[in-house]
This record gives sequence, structure tokens and C-alpha cells, in this order.
Amino acid sequence: MLRVGDVVTAYGQLEALKGVSVAAESGKITCLLGPNGAGKTTLMMTVTGLLKPKRGSIAFEGQELVGLSPSEIVARGVALVPENRLVFPDMSVRENLEAGAYLRRKPAEIAADLDRMFERFPRLKERAGQSAGTLSGGEQQMLAVARALMSRPRLLLMDEPSLGLAPLIVEEIFRIVAELNRDGTSIFLVEQNAHMALKVAHHFYLIEQGRVTFSGSPGQLAEDEVIQRAYLGSKRG
Amino acid sequence: MDEFLIGVLSNIGLMSLLALSAWLLLVVGEISFGQQAFFALGAYAAGIATALYGWPLPLGLFAGVVVGALAGFAVAIPTMRLTGLAFAIATLAFAELMRLLLQLWVFQREVDGERLGPNAVEGFRGVRWVYDHDLSALGYLGVIWGIVVVVLAALFLCERSRIGLACRAVGADAELAEAQGLPAARLKILVATVAGGLAALGGGLYVHLATYVEPQHFSIMLGVHALAYGLIGGLGTALGPILGVVLDIGLLEALQEIARYRMIVFGGAVAVLLILRPRGLLDEALVRRLTRGKP
Amino acid sequence: MLDLIQNTIDGVMIGGAYALLALGFTLTFGVMRRLNLAFGAIVLCGLYAGAAAHQALGWGLLGSIAATLAVAVAAGLYVERLCFRALAESASIAAMVSSFAIWMQLEEIAALLMPRRTYAYPALSEARPWEWAGLSLRPDQLAMAAVALGAMAALGWTLRRTRFGLAARAVATAPLAARLAGIEPARIGSAMFLLACGLGGLAGALIAAVDSQVTIKFGMWAMLKGLVAMTLGGIGSIPGAVIGGLALGVIESNAQWYLGAEWRDIVAYGLLFAVLYWRRGRERPWTNS
Repeated sequence: MLRVGDVVTAYGQLEALKGVSVAAESGKITCLLGPNGAGKTTLMMTVTGLLKPKRGSIAFEGQELVGLSPSEIVARGVALVPENRLVFPDMSVRENLEAGAYLRRKPAEIAADLDRMFERFPRLKERAGQSAGTLSGGEQQMLAVARALMSRPRLLLMDEPSLGLAPLIVEEIFRIVAELNRDGTSIFLVEQNAHMALKVAHHFYLIEQGRVTFSGSPGQLAEDEVIQRAYLGSKRG
Repeated sequence: MDEFLIGVLSNIGLMSLLALSAWLLLVVGEISFGQQAFFALGAYAAGIATALYGWPLPLGLFAGVVVGALAGFAVAIPTMRLTGLAFAIATLAFAELMRLLLQLWVFQREVDGERLGPNAVEGFRGVRWVYDHDLSALGYLGVIWGIVVVVLAALFLCERSRIGLACRAVGADAELAEAQGLPAARLKILVATVAGGLAALGGGLYVHLATYVEPQHFSIMLGVHALAYGLIGGLGTALGPILGVVLDIGLLEALQEIARYRMIVFGGAVAVLLILRPRGLLDEALVRRLTRGKP
Repeated sequence: MLDLIQNTIDGVMIGGAYALLALGFTLTFGVMRRLNLAFGAIVLCGLYAGAAAHQALGWGLLGSIAATLAVAVAAGLYVERLCFRALAESASIAAMVSSFAIWMQLEEIAALLMPRRTYAYPALSEARPWEWAGLSLRPDQLAMAAVALGAMAALGWTLRRTRFGLAARAVATAPLAARLAGIEPARIGSAMFLLACGLGGLAGALIAAVDSQVTIKFGMWAMLKGLVAMTLGGIGSIPGAVIGGLALGVIESNAQWYLGAEWRDIVAYGLLFAVLYWRRGRERPWTNS
């Protein structure tokens, strides 16, 4: 579904991704695990068109995404739940969701999806008129997920959904991830929380210092080692 | 040298000091719409010193610089915690206040049977030290450019010093610089003080060239021109604002036949230039390339 | 007391127009985080076009206002393309200086084409002031305030209730998240820029119609009033721009009455400086706070 081939992305002279190749399969949950600064967020921003890679290709359902604008990429069916949630704090919950459906034109379908989101996330329904900035961290994360879903993506990208959330909330978020996947959404998420990610992932990668250092299914590598490398990177670096 | 050329070169020298004043603040990352206020203060202070109290010119200029620097310091204290647009508008408010107060200010003395001194909107006439002392236009041009060269030399020395490097770091990213232990706020206040003094120096020289100023001269137009010179010429070196002044005033005089269309041509040219070089002709990257290898 | 009430009424009337000018700055600043110094000159171009249509073609009030709006938006398009869209996002100082250069350019074009000191603009209303219990109310000023209020209400509705308004608020408050939702900040910014120029043109037309004339100095005057009003209410805040505009009008008319005309602007700038100092001049683009 998504094929990232030998992508190099740099900030000035500094290469944050040094030739990364990963793939996300249709209908599956794929995880990319790695420590801070390994290039996880850079990869997400490159796939969504916020950053331009120096070289490499990104194919989604066979079509090249490199060179497209973020808005064109959303229109093709790839949506990102950004790191730190990034809701629109001064807009109501409902308006946040409507903004997520910005590129869609049929009001009736949007309204139906809005109802569906409120069904899936009842807490958002309770707070529909409230400004998003007043929500708790967990609620904002759910809003960010729901907002991304409002664009009807075929592939949902998630950047560290567990960041800064209490363990119970993290569990709930991952329960939702698994649920969304069961309902047919393909998911590609980057995480540092290997313990939770390995529970839901069908396939996972390790990324360390801008390079992919492992690819396999959960169980192929001892969880302790994965956790160790996802938090700190391997010793050989 | 003909009188016309002397006049043009004198103007370029004066405006260079004002442009350098705005440029200094740009280097530490602040936009000022208000340097013309210090230019005005310098003009009034130096003019009062020489015309009303008979001080010699150097002492008068010095008095102007002191007043300008003190005012720069006094304005910097409350405004330095403002950033971006808020700082720019605070400087604008200060400069307009100053101009409006000068429009009300009457401070006259009898000198040799003549009433002299600031007279509200009428302005301040009779600052004749240069003429009374038979300093020729060419001689005064020499004074102006002597001072500009000294100022430039001092700025170049500073540029290479620790303070210069610290200023560039603060200008690039004040928060980062502060995190690295640089006293960003204090540096900015220092720079604002120096900038106030520099603008006042230009003003002091200006009033003695023109013999006459009025508050109307010091509107926001003057200040934004000064700001624009730095960006046109380039933020990378102290020569940048001077290049900007030369281009504008030089072009104004060179294109006298089409002077009526000057701003139409020049305004458009500046807009196009900034598309190509958003940090001016002599920007930081070019300056770095030119000086690479030198200590 | 009666004086105070009368001054406040007068201040609120002109304050409505100030608020529109302030909104012109706030709208652009919120979405683009940049300052358009050519704003006053753009308004001036529109007013000169309106005055020309009045003089040469004999157009009436509505025709002149329409010409003003059309030319202000056209001049805005020129400035937006040349000074804002063509420059990288990071080059905000360059955009500001560039718009300053174009301010000079537009003003010179206007002065070349129409070199007289003043030009007549169709009057808003020539009806006599209404008198009531010692207070007087000029119908043209009342009309100006009413139109300004209507324009603000329409703007509020656009921002709250339309897809464009939603996108604009998203860009103003969280540009990165907006891009991830498929909103293109550059396009929204351009549209908002033109809308701001239209509002500026309307404000200018109202003021010129109350004065029945326009001079070349109007551009600079409009820019200063807009900037001051925007800053008084809190840089970037939309309700702040409205409050700032009204406050500036009321302050000016009272200062002029009690202290004299020469103190009017001094009080306004002094207060502006104090407000910046006191509120620490934080920029809060479009937030509710």
C-alpha cells in the first residue's frame, strides 16, 4: 500500500533520514519503533509532504507522492495524526472535526461521518461545543485521531500517539487503533512505546539514527531488546 | 567637486548613520519603526548646544549623542521584553509621540539680538555654526565622512569581537542564545543604546548642514526608509545599509530627468530585489563567502 | 457630563471605521503573520479611483464606493503577488520592507495621475444633524457606523459559519495542523489578504464620504490609525481589533475636546505605548483570550 524507498531527508546539511525503506501493507498495522531523534517524525513529515526528501521515492497505491503538496496527499487518502496532537485549540470540537473534512465537498456525507465519530468517541460528543484547548490530553488525542479520520483516509499515519499520556489513556488509544484497523483502516504508526505498539502491530521496524536496523514481525525479536533499542538505540549505534 | 555632488554625498553620509542605527537593531532581530526619533533628538540637542549656548560643534555633537543614547536606553528598558510586531509598534508610538511633542515645544533664547531655538511647528531655525566658522561645504563633507568611517571601523571591530558574535547569535534565535547563557535582553538594550546614539549623531550633523529642522521632517517615512536601507543593502555587514542609502539617494539624483517617476521605478526594483535576495544584496551568506579564510 | 456623552458618541461613530482598518491588519497578520505596510496606500488607490469616477464620470455614492472597493482589491492583488506570495514564508521582514517600497510606489502613481491636493468624494448624507436633549447626531456618521457594524457582522459570520472562515481560523491558530487537514495556507492567506483590502477600502470610503473629500495623506493616516487600533486591542485578536478601534475613536474625541486638537494624537500614542508595556504586547493571533 505504502512503499518508502531509500528516502533521504535533510535539514540543511544534517541528514535526519539516511536512506530509509519501509512498507505498510493494506489492512495491517505497521509500526516504526525508535528512540528520540532517530528520524520518526521526519519520516512522517516527509510522507505527508511537509518536508521534501533529497532523494528516494514514496509510492502510495502505486502512485508517487514525492513532489505533491500536503493537501494533494490528503486528497489521495493519507492522513496524519501529528505528534503532540496539534488540535485547533480555539475552535470547538465539532469545528475541529469539520476542518478535518475540509477537502470533502458533500455536506450530507460529512454530517454522517461526524455522527459516526461521535458514536465512536462518545466523550467528544459530550464536548462537541467546547473549545478543543480545554480538553484533557487523552481527549485531545482522540480528537486528533477523529479529525484525521474525517478526511476518510485509506492509510492513517500516527506520530507517537502515546506521547505524554497516562498509561490508562495509552491503553485506550491503542484499543482504538486496533478497533479502527479491524474496521478496515490501514495504519502506520511510529512510536517509542514498544510494549504497547508490539501488542497491536502486524509488522514492525526499528529505526536508529536515520537508518532502519530491523524489520520483522512481533516475536521475532525479544521484547526486551526491542524496548531497549526503541528507547535508547542499540549500543553499536 | 561641484556643490551638487557635495550635497548628495553629505546626505548619503548623514542617512548612512540613521540607516546603521536601524540596521544594528535588525542584527539583534528587532525591527524599529522609530529611529527617526533619536535622529530628531540629536538634531535638536546638538542645535541647541551650538546655536543657543555657543558650544563648539564637536561638543554639541557629543551632547546630541549622549541625549540620543540615553533616550535609546530609556526606551529600550520598557520595550525590550516586547518582541516582533509589538516592539516595532512601540518604537513607532514613541517616535510619533516625540514628533508631536516637538511640535508643541517652544524653547527660545535671545542670541545676539535674535530669538533662536525650537519653536513648535515652526521648527528650529538658525543653527549656523558651520557657516559662522567658515567651514566650507567640502570641509563639512569631510567631517561627515570622517565620522562615518570611524563609526564603520568601530562596527567592524565589534563584528569580530565576542559582543558582535553574541549579537548575531541573539538575532538568529534569541531563545536559543539565552539558553546558551548569552544575556540576550542586556545585549539588546546595549545595542538599542548605541543605535540611539548613532541616529542622534546623524541628526546632529544634519541640523548643522541644513541650519534648520522642523518636527515634520521626522515622520515615520524617515524611519521606515532607514529600516529599508539595511534590508536592501544587506544584513550581513555594516556596509549593507550604506549600500542601500547610496542606491536610493544616488539613484534619486542620477535619475533626475525622471525624478517624477523615481519611486515607481525604485519601489518596484526593491520589491523584485527582495524576492531574489530576501536578506539584501550583501546578506550573511555572501559576506561569509567573501571573508572565508580570513581570521 | 453631556460633553463626555457627546464625545463618546462621536468617538464610537468614527471608531467603527477605525475598527475596520484595524481588522484589515489583523486578518492579514493572523493568517500570514506578516505586516502589510502598503495597506494605507492600497486604500488610497481605491479612494482616488472612487473620486475619479465621481469627478470624471459623475458617479454617485454607491458607484464611487464600488469603484473604491474594486480598485483597492486590485491593488491588493498586486501587492500580495509581488510582496507576499513571491517571498518565502520565513522572509517576513523582507515582505514588510517590500510592501513599504510598494506603498511609496502606489502613492507616487496616485499623485502623478491626480496631482491636486484634494479631490471631492460623494457625501454620505447631507441631512442636518439630529438634536435631542442637548446631544447632536450626524446622520452621515450614524450611517458610517451602521455600515461598519454591518461589515463586521458579515465578517464574523464568514469566519464562524463558512468553510473558508473555518479554514482561515485553522491556519491562524495552528498552521501545521491546518496543512495536515489539507488546507493550503498560501491560498487562504491570499484570499484573506484581498478580503482585508476590501474592508480597508470600505472603511476608507466611509471616512472619505463623511469628509466629502480625500487627500494624498489619507494612506499614511489610515495605516497609522489601523496599526494603533489593532495594537490597542491586542495584536492579532479579532474582537481586540473592534474594541481597539472603538476605544481609539472615543479616546481621540475626548482628548480633543478636553485637551485640544494638538493633544489628541499625543494621548493616543501615549496610551498605545502604555498598553504595549502593560500587556507585554503578546501577539495572540485570532485566539479567544
